[in-house]
Amino acid sequence: MMESQAPRVTVEGFDGPLDLLLELVEEKKLDILTVRLGDLADAYLARVRAMAALPADEVSAFLALASRLVLLKARSLLPSLEPLALEDAESEEELRARLLEYAIVRERASQLGARLRAGERAFHREGGTIELPPRGGEVDALALAFGRVLTLAAKQREEDIVAPGERYSVEQRTLEIEELITAQGRVSFATLLGGAPTIGFAVVTFIALLDLYRRAVIDLAQDELFADIVITRREPPSVRN
Amino acid sequence: MTKGELGRIAGGTPRAVENALAELATAYEGTGLRLQRSGDEWQIVTAPQHAPQVAAYLGADRLRLSPASLETLSVVAYRQPVTRAEVEAIRGVNCDQTFYTLASRRLIEERGRKETPGRPILYGTTWEFLECFGLQSLDELPRALSPDGALVPGA
Repeated sequence: MMESQAPRVTVEGFDGPLDLLLELVEEKKLDILTVRLGDLADAYLARVRAMAALPADEVSAFLALASRLVLLKARSLLPSLEPLALEDAESEEELRARLLEYAIVRERASQLGARLRAGERAFHREGGTIELPPRGGEVDALALAFGRVLTLAAKQREEDIVAPGERYSVEQRTLEIEELITAQGRVSFATLLGGAPTIGFAVVTFIALLDLYRRAVIDLAQDELFADIVITRREPPSVRN
Repeated sequence: MTKGELGRIAGGTPRAVENALAELATAYEGTGLRLQRSGDEWQIVTAPQHAPQVAAYLGADRLRLSPASLETLSVVAYRQPVTRAEVEAIRGVNCDQTFYTLASRRLIEERGRKETPGRPILYGTTWEFLECFGLQSLDELPRALSPDGALVPGA
């Protein structure tokens, strides 16, 4: 992933006034804790002056800090200036504390950056509920199914799938099934289809079953996924009444 | 997954779950996996030392962040939950863009609002942050510097 480089203002490689000030402290090998920040005013101003055209809000941030530094320097040169200082002006110690805090942030950032470059990261598996395959996928079932496919393939296929006229009628098939079930009590779907059903015959049989079920003539049961469907006759309505 | 969920599913007290998690963490030591914790949430992740191989397998690119984004991220990580204004006060610069970048990388996220005037949004680091930096939890953030320790930046 690349950092999206939308126009982010970095001034001469400095990420804001504090960054520049910290850079000066480091360049001069000074200690943040003891350096007289006012002494850095000249160097800081020189850098700011050297900056090319800047967006106004960025410049103001740099200039605000510059004015603090100049004020600090002036105070150190002329202690009598003290009463004139603005009340809300940051004291040297406040600015030092801010700089110190920023130095820590920068140090931590570089540590994080080093971790990132080392590339020693973790990965998780995409979460969510694991989708289990439907049951009934036993190896035996697969072998049986393949056997059936082979048997079917060995048989002659229905020659013309699109019949010129209707060769099976749902109404007739419905009657047939109803009679069969009345006689036998229960019939399996495989039995109804017979050994080698044509597509038309299978479809008509299936629709007939759906119709019978809709009319509450039969009940359908299936022990497990893809097992044979068992058709039984419902109790005659007269009994239920 | 939270400790509560684990307890509910495994049928254990929070205490038992905690012990089991500690046991699991120990069991994972030296293997390709480890436990990662963010607040009350736990997750099994790959061990960082295998990152090159896992990244190659997943075709994952390495995350790159600019120094400015890293600075902002470090303030959020160490000070969370924190508002954008607080981060800006520390860095001394506007952080709009870096916040946007970090949020779009899912490294930081909103953590409610601070009950101060204006109710500013609070931000904290995410799961992805821990993952990207190979941290098992926020306790593992590098502690090289203490604010009041002797500090020699750049040395």
